[in-house]
Amino acid sequence: MKKLLSEFLKGIVKENPTFVLVLGLCPTLAVSVSLINGIGMGIAATFVLLGSNIIVSLIKNIVPDRIRIPCFIVVIATFVTITELVMKAYSPALNRALGIYVPLIVVNCIVLGRAEAYAQRQTVLNSLFDGLGMGVGFTLALILISGIRESLGAGKILGYTLFKRFEPVFVLGMPSGALLLIGLLLGFFNVLKNRRT
Amino acid sequence: MNLTQFLTIFISAVFIYNVILSRFLGLCSFIAISKETKPALAMSLAVMFVTVMSSIITWFIYRFLLIPFNLTYLRTISFILVIATFVQFVEMVIRKISPPMYRFFGIYLPLITVNCAVLGVAVLNIDMFFVNGKAVGGSFYYSAFQGICVGLGYTLAMLLMSGIRERLDLANVPKSVKDFPLAFIIASIMSLSFMGFNGFRF
Amino acid sequence: MRNRLIVSASPHLHKAESVSKIMWMVIISLIPAGAAGVFIFGASALWVIILGVVSALATEGVLQILTKRKITILDGSAIITGILLAYNLPPRVPFWIPIIGSFFSIAIGKQIFGGLGQNIFNPALAGRVFLMASWPKYMTTFTPPASYDAITSATPLALIKEGRVLQNFSYLDLFLGKRAGCIGEVCILALLLGALFLLLRGYISWHIPITYVFTVAAFTFVFGSKALFRGDWLFHILSGGLILGAFFMATDYVTSPLTRKGQVIFGIGCGIVTSIIRLWGGYPEGVSYAILMMNAATPIIDRYTKIRVYGTK
Repeated sequence: MKKLLSEFLKGIVKENPTFVLVLGLCPTLAVSVSLINGIGMGIAATFVLLGSNIIVSLIKNIVPDRIRIPCFIVVIATFVTITELVMKAYSPALNRALGIYVPLIVVNCIVLGRAEAYAQRQTVLNSLFDGLGMGVGFTLALILISGIRESLGAGKILGYTLFKRFEPVFVLGMPSGALLLIGLLLGFFNVLKNRRT
Repeated sequence: MNLTQFLTIFISAVFIYNVILSRFLGLCSFIAISKETKPALAMSLAVMFVTVMSSIITWFIYRFLLIPFNLTYLRTISFILVIATFVQFVEMVIRKISPPMYRFFGIYLPLITVNCAVLGVAVLNIDMFFVNGKAVGGSFYYSAFQGICVGLGYTLAMLLMSGIRERLDLANVPKSVKDFPLAFIIASIMSLSFMGFNGFRF
Repeated sequence: MRNRLIVSASPHLHKAESVSKIMWMVIISLIPAGAAGVFIFGASALWVIILGVVSALATEGVLQILTKRKITILDGSAIITGILLAYNLPPRVPFWIPIIGSFFSIAIGKQIFGGLGQNIFNPALAGRVFLMASWPKYMTTFTPPASYDAITSATPLALIKEGRVLQNFSYLDLFLGKRAGCIGEVCILALLLGALFLLLRGYISWHIPITYVFTVAAFTFVFGSKALFRGDWLFHILSGGLILGAFFMATDYVTSPLTRKGQVIFGIGCGIVTSIIRLWGGYPEGVSYAILMMNAATPIIDRYTKIRVYGTK
């Protein structure tokens, strides 16, 4: 049980997909402009990650190594389609907001990355918790980044204007600013980590 | 088919709208593999190969399969499957030619499959060189050439970044920003400088 | 490791100059341009310069204290960065622009790379493009010169980008600074005086600035107008931030190539990119972007123009 918990927790801090594994940058840069988009994308990606990790782990012994990459892609694409349809049915507003980014979860490095690095060698239960942990870690990273980008870069949070006389830092709304932010956050986390040891 | 179009494609893909520094596609491998020049160039070569081959194959699929049978909505998924197949092939080749390089790339080799740059140029070719469901004149050659040029643009960015990071290896950078944090900051400043090409109109 | 250290072949000439002395000489050479800017645009320009310098010094001092490194704010390099950033700003920017800009230049453009001598990008220019991307409205609002008769508040380059014909501008006007623009870029005369001082004393070499300016002149001559070979190259040399950039920012030792051959490549590269942006890009001026791009290419340029070590093949 403890092991499963550690599989889950590692995705949040120690092996956070955005800050440590450096995966999923393209969607992160694109989606994290506003907090609500960040949260929505995080949840959608978590669902896909969960499903993909489980299925990949289930079929790991049947899939020949020479065609494993296309097979994983089919699995991932299926779950993305399911996610897209569910979102269209139950949350059309969110679906409109996230636009093309939902289908693009197929090319989110995190999903294929975990399938390739973990789920194809681990048990279903481990893969489940890994997928969950990675998804939550990704979502938390998105929340942090998009929270800062929206508040400082546009002066709003969740669409509500924050300060009255504020000159928004426009560069934060651009990918360049996002890269700068991620670099500084990473440096900050390292400072905390070095302080601890 | 005219020469200016080829020239425009070259200058656009490599410099003005550089796939990494202006379009921000393919960032994961860019940040992860750009620490040293030799692996960076090897990765660039692999990406360029996949990009060119998938540009060619996806063009054929779109032209002779998806359009005639009205299946254009399957564009993304079919393209990704083509790319996945090529990456699988490249992986097998590298594993055989240079096992140390294969081990070094680790997960980033299979991740070329989901490298946004590769899918990006395949989709870009369709958007640029098909109008109203018909191929424009010279469409195939433009698409293949754009695949090459996007690969070259990727290589340029990797070369610049690896040169910078190798030089910084000799500097006494503050410990907390060593490697990845600094790489992100460098990427940020590089992309800010490439913003100078915004609004380009020849 | 041996392949990464760039060493120049001996013999080496030892001069009685220290890094610090060179910095202070550069500061002196920059004074005429700043004085001209203040004269042309008024007191607010002086405030921008002061705030830029103070912010740079404060940022560097505080960061060096926090990271427990040697405090080097008196070596002049932070002052130069503050001055150059201020010279690249419009004269009436809000007070917090030079403060934040200098902070970014020193903290992100310089200290985060390990401090003096280790940065890849020209710190002042890194700060400038950051400001440009963050608050474009303030960075592109210019004022007409205070002490000359009223001219428009748009810079000459901005005017031709919009396709307007320039009236009432003579080359002499451009040379003396009778135009809207950034504080330190408008008075070519003052800039060249300072540059001449640096060149004669040997603190900068002519390779980068001359090839840079020449490339811009040649490119704009050939492509600068509807018909080929009819471009107004003199206008382009005297406009925008070219002289300021070519003589004072592209020549920064730390961020430009070591070898003469590399420097020529650097100058040509800067010239081509600047011209392309000026003629066909969305922005009216491209000097900052061009220099930063070539800064990024400098490590690679250095690598491939290495001098043959004496005695080897």
